[in-house]
Amino acid sequence: MILEVKDLHVPIDGKEIVGGVNLKVNQGEVHVIMGHNGSGKTTLAKTIMGYPKLKPTAGDILVDGQSILALTPDKRAKLGLFLGFQNPVEVEGVGFINFLHSAKEAVSTNVNTKELMADIRADAVGLKMVDNLIGRSLNQGFSGGEKKKAEVLQMGVLRPKIAILDEPDSGLDIDAVKVVAENINAFSKKYNIGLVIITHYSRILNYMDPQFVHVMANGKIVAEGGKEIIEKLEKEGYESFTKQ
Amino acid sequence: MPENENELLGYADEEYKERYGFSDKTEYAYKTEKGLNEDIVREISKIKGEPDWMLEKRLTGYKVFKSKPVPTWGADLSGIDFDDVYYYLKPGGKKEDSWDKVPEDIKKTFDKLGIPEAERKFFAGAEIQYDSEVVYGHVRQELEKQGVIFTDTDSAIKKYPELVKKYFGTVIPPTDNKFAALNTAVFSGGSFIFVPKGVKVTMPLQAYFRINAEKAGQFERTLIIADEGADVTYIEGCLPADELVSRGDTFQRIDTIKKGDAVPTHTGRMQSVNRTFVHPHRGKLLEILPLSKGNGFKLTSEHPVLCIKRNKVIVKRQQRRNWKPEVSTTALLKANAEFVKAADLEEGDFIVYVAPTVISDDSQFDETALKILGLYLAEGSVSANRALRGIKMVSFSFGKSKKEGLLANELNSLIQEKGWKSSICRSKGGYYIVSSYAKELIRLCEDNCGRGAKTKLLSQKLMKLPPGKQKILLDYYWKGDGSVYIRFGKKLMRASTASRFLAYQIQEILARNGIFANLNVRKGSVDTILGRKIKRSDQYIIEYTEGKETGEVRRNGNRFYVPIKQIKTHYFDDLVYNFGVDKDESYLVKGFAVHNCTAPIYMSSSLHSAVVEIIVHKDAQVKYVTIQNWSRNVYNLVTQRAFAYENARMTWIDANIGSRVNMKYPSVYLKGRGASGEILSVAVAGENQIQDSGGKMLHLAPDTTSKIISKSVSKKNGVASYRGQLYIAKNAANVKSTVRCDALLLNKESKTNTYPYMDIQREDATITHEAAVGKIGEEQLFYLMSRGLTEEEALTTVVLGFLDPLTKALPMEYSVELKRLIKLDTTGSVA
Repeated sequence: MILEVKDLHVPIDGKEIVGGVNLKVNQGEVHVIMGHNGSGKTTLAKTIMGYPKLKPTAGDILVDGQSILALTPDKRAKLGLFLGFQNPVEVEGVGFINFLHSAKEAVSTNVNTKELMADIRADAVGLKMVDNLIGRSLNQGFSGGEKKKAEVLQMGVLRPKIAILDEPDSGLDIDAVKVVAENINAFSKKYNIGLVIITHYSRILNYMDPQFVHVMANGKIVAEGGKEIIEKLEKEGYESFTKQ
Repeated sequence: MPENENELLGYADEEYKERYGFSDKTEYAYKTEKGLNEDIVREISKIKGEPDWMLEKRLTGYKVFKSKPVPTWGADLSGIDFDDVYYYLKPGGKKEDSWDKVPEDIKKTFDKLGIPEAERKFFAGAEIQYDSEVVYGHVRQELEKQGVIFTDTDSAIKKYPELVKKYFGTVIPPTDNKFAALNTAVFSGGSFIFVPKGVKVTMPLQAYFRINAEKAGQFERTLIIADEGADVTYIEGCLPADELVSRGDTFQRIDTIKKGDAVPTHTGRMQSVNRTFVHPHRGKLLEILPLSKGNGFKLTSEHPVLCIKRNKVIVKRQQRRNWKPEVSTTALLKANAEFVKAADLEEGDFIVYVAPTVISDDSQFDETALKILGLYLAEGSVSANRALRGIKMVSFSFGKSKKEGLLANELNSLIQEKGWKSSICRSKGGYYIVSSYAKELIRLCEDNCGRGAKTKLLSQKLMKLPPGKQKILLDYYWKGDGSVYIRFGKKLMRASTASRFLAYQIQEILARNGIFANLNVRKGSVDTILGRKIKRSDQYIIEYTEGKETGEVRRNGNRFYVPIKQIKTHYFDDLVYNFGVDKDESYLVKGFAVHNCTAPIYMSSSLHSAVVEIIVHKDAQVKYVTIQNWSRNVYNLVTQRAFAYENARMTWIDANIGSRVNMKYPSVYLKGRGASGEILSVAVAGENQIQDSGGKMLHLAPDTTSKIISKSVSKKNGVASYRGQLYIAKNAANVKSTVRCDALLLNKESKTNTYPYMDIQREDATITHEAAVGKIGEEQLFYLMSRGLTEEEALTTVVLGFLDPLTKALPMEYSVELKRLIKLDTTGSVA
């Protein structure tokens, strides 16, 4: 699968938050989008997934050459897109496992419940999610770290073709960042998932090997390249890119 | 007789119309005039043969009803025309209603359920009969020993006049409100329960009396008395209680049938399953054993089965002694098969075995391949050779006779004809063995016939081949596993297999070839021979006589009419399954056609006004559960009240989904020290619906506790209101009370109100009252949809999650049912 974002413009309340972004992601590739708070990263991610309030005023989003702008989020998910939320919402009374089961049935055919349960259990162990997930409501009462891990767990179970992970590292302690990063890598390799990691810390990148790094500022991509960009960022900060 | 398939389908449709396409006028065995006056009240009492004291109560009720105005403090009730209601109907044998009279929204509900129009007419009429006597009857047996009385109120008045006299109207006197008064005047049906001292009824007592046209009435009266230390749960259900249980349709267990699966229907064509049901069933279950006993199946007594009644097709000749009347083949073949309730089946009636007509050829199965597969079915197996690191091989074991040797050699050449390598050898015992490592051969066998003796199964591809091709496969199967007996100069073909499913498949293939084979089961056994335990598994025996139609079975196109040999009645207490099928609404159970069965709740009258009185004596416990799903033209005005004495415990679980206007506030009068009451209330207010519900707690004694939890969902222009009353009397010290009401709004137009009334006469009471209104968040929906759920699914998920604390409190099967109703209800609610 190929995800292409072409000259995308997205306003919120009349103010342009994403202002002409271009991006091309192939299945299996690892991309990183870095940028400080408010640079438009989350808006970009949510627009790609189809958040109804975010309506592009120009540009297009394509999957395998076909525009997906008219598709609702569920249809985009069924194409193989996934969004790991920065702030996963809590849904009262909806069992986490039940929900994952419904989601899996929605995006794939022939779901074997037993295998699915075994996968969830194994993935939860891999992610060092201590508490038993059975009987817990979707994200309700999850700690910040658990919520982030649960997003990665969902990615591992739903096996999308391209996943955008919005700050999978924020609010995690050092050990947890490592665990999350390693699991993201493993899922990506095992299921050939293309990744777009959105972050403003380079910490998580110590454990990852992105081929493409994009720097975003004021709704635009201001720099692109390989891993070397991260080092430059580390040394000189975002300022050095926005000045150019 | 129709010859080709198309004609046959048309023929089936005709028959279908005939069965369901009626539109009769209402005919009642007894009906009072519209409207209400004293004479009608007297008449009702007279018809029922009631004693004078009951008539007196009715007349008091009538007077109060007349004197009280329609209450105006709650929902708008001005739409009720009391003069336009039949207050007593006793339906006769004929069905009610024409399809045109059915309100639009009901038709839509039927649409959502995917029920074809013809069938809707059937269900919309008064023919939805649930024989409550079955339920009552069974429970009575179980409980009589414990002294528990469980019967309908009409019978109770005659059989237990002292008890009824003592308690009737003491909890809810006719003077209580206009509708309780009306109920007192005209009530009919309802349940009467008496649980004696110390008796704990472990199973919930349930009544489906509402579906029964006669006992349902619009004004039923329920009275429950739990004597000291007793414990009982009562469930008032509006559930379709008539589901099927069986283990096979196209040889798949019915509980594993999923939405979207394709199944053959009574027409022989394939249709997909559009919904599945599961329900608890406690009571009678019928086992229908046709001539071919291996095809026996079980179902509930309401389940319609495609059938030709024997008495319609008998010859007009005098009956011979001890013989069943003889059947005229001409009449049988001319007769139209109809769907008949299982309860109405009799031994000797003909049920219909349908050979599926779906054909899809596949060129990979040439004559040679089919012959090989036939022999594989009989003699072959695939195993992994350990010595050769798990390399798979297929082997066929034949007997040691010369004939078997020839067959083995034929197989060997067949395999080589396909260009695969194989070898033939004789074992030490002299048995002929053909084996091969050819991957293509192994794949052919495994993919299409399975591996071991018990798990052999024909692939869907094989099952759909043209009958002629299937016959080749079968002939070679017969060569391997079968035996041929000559009886009366005719060939009796017989084969046996340990695979039950394979047996049904072979039967089906034979049927497609115009042969009805009998299926019988030889039970497995464990024998000890020379000190060794030999275990024999069940063997399924398929047999037919060549050139002769088996016994009394008659063939009509792709249908076989098979007589019922025996009908057994079983007691059953478990879940039963059923599913809906596109267009035909029927499916095949072990080859036999049955109809899907579901009964939406429909009432032609617009007023339902029941009264439920409960007395919970010292230390006793009662739990009363209602799932209300009346159609959207009903004013549901029900008075429910319980008296709880010392240390007694009363729980109301009240789920309101249906009706146009619902006003219902179950209440508990905490009359003895230490009594406690709990009300869990769920309301879903959809388009044009008003759900005005809640509860009342009256603390009339010290140390009493109460809890009300109410959750409501409003959508479109629906209005859900919580109306609660909390009263704490002067003498009621140390009262604890919790009230929590949460509301969820799905649209901008939907509304919710909270009306808490409190009258607290004590300083020392501990009272908490919380109320919260939530709106479905766009973020929540987006999150769920980003995982692949459609907007409707996401909405349903949020609603069910919100109601989860209450649905969890229901017995499992009821929570499943409630969730199903809510799901159906949220469809189409997305703006």
